[in-house]
Amino acid sequence: MAQRARTHGSDPAATETPARFDMEGVVGYILFGGVLVSMALVAAGVTWRWIATGHVAFDYSITGMNLLEFVLTDIRQVADHALRPRLLVNLGIAVLMLTPYARVLASLLYFAVVERNGKFTLFTGFVLSVLTYSLFLR
Amino acid sequence: MPFALLVFISVVAGFVGAMSGMGGGVVLIPALTFFGMDIKHAIAISIVSVIATSSGSASAYVRDRITNLKVGMFLEMFTIVGALAGAAITLASAQRPLFFAFGMMLLGSWGALFAEGNRAWEPVTHQDAFSHWLELEGSYCDQAVQQTIHYRGARAYLGGPLMFGAGLIAGLLGIGAGALKVLIHDLVMGLPPKVSTTTSNLIIGVTALAGTSVYLAAGLIDPGLAAPVILGIVVGAFIGTRVLVRLTNQAVRRFFQVILVGLGIEMIVRGIRGV
Repeated sequence: MAQRARTHGSDPAATETPARFDMEGVVGYILFGGVLVSMALVAAGVTWRWIATGHVAFDYSITGMNLLEFVLTDIRQVADHALRPRLLVNLGIAVLMLTPYARVLASLLYFAVVERNGKFTLFTGFVLSVLTYSLFLR
Repeated sequence: MPFALLVFISVVAGFVGAMSGMGGGVVLIPALTFFGMDIKHAIAISIVSVIATSSGSASAYVRDRITNLKVGMFLEMFTIVGALAGAAITLASAQRPLFFAFGMMLLGSWGALFAEGNRAWEPVTHQDAFSHWLELEGSYCDQAVQQTIHYRGARAYLGGPLMFGAGLIAGLLGIGAGALKVLIHDLVMGLPPKVSTTTSNLIIGVTALAGTSVYLAAGLIDPGLAAPVILGIVVGAFIGTRVLVRLTNQAVRRFFQVILVGLGIEMIVRGIRGV
């Protein structure tokens, strides 16, 4: 939301100055948080497998699945409580892939709602549309 | 390929990539193919790791308010389309041209870095109407000189299409293509070096995602191989960045860049010989 902060001081005619929305902070924390969560999930999956089986290597591949199906399959398995090392690794990779997507989505909201910048809302909308299209690629 | 070897290669790739300023992918792909991995699988795994390294470093730069979000967003329109096209070309391509293209890219990137190293930034004095309409300007606080630097970008009409080419190379070869993106920002659009580098980092993550989607759908991303690579390359890049900020001597950086020239020549030779 566009916020306005009132400046207080000795001046009785205190003026209102716009408080800058910290978009850089939001984008920075989305990227940092995404990478951190992703690394933690992958590391947890590898460690769990090592503790459970004595091996760290995984031997499986993803075929016939686009990014959206990959993410939905992982979420479905979490909902079914089918938690296992492989799922944690998959979730880590999914979170990593969705991190830039989340950043673009946040940028779209910022340009559309906070800055009300039609031009950059359009540009960001285009980027998001192409990325969304790529989620459905086969 | 053994898990420990994958982690080791990835840590070294992340470290050398950070030290040379060219990113981990340019070392990872030659190393993985040297140990017998198919180049298309190596490219696919590399591009996933590019999301991790670029997003990690971009997060810090964005919070420091050096990155220009508007410049990044405008140029991403071109790079993501390029990355989708590049990844599609790789899927349809034979192996030999990919080795050759990778080697040529390494030599070209080294040349770009070399050119950059000997050039001082000159602010844009006249901003064209299109770049002005795109609001390509900004300011940042330069800690080194304790001063706020105001700048304007120019020639966006040329920078955009050229970034399509950078995105194409990134998707085609599974790398960030940061050296090329920085060169376009600097030489074509007249952005200050710090803004160029940090904005390039931001763009690389989204571009890599577009390429990753293509490789994932093609079944080339094996999570069992991707997991150790992602972990290793992030750790290596983290160590490399920490070492780099303590370096005052450019000679060390040049040394790592020369290693990459060697890798480039080796990839071209493998492309000519037939892998």
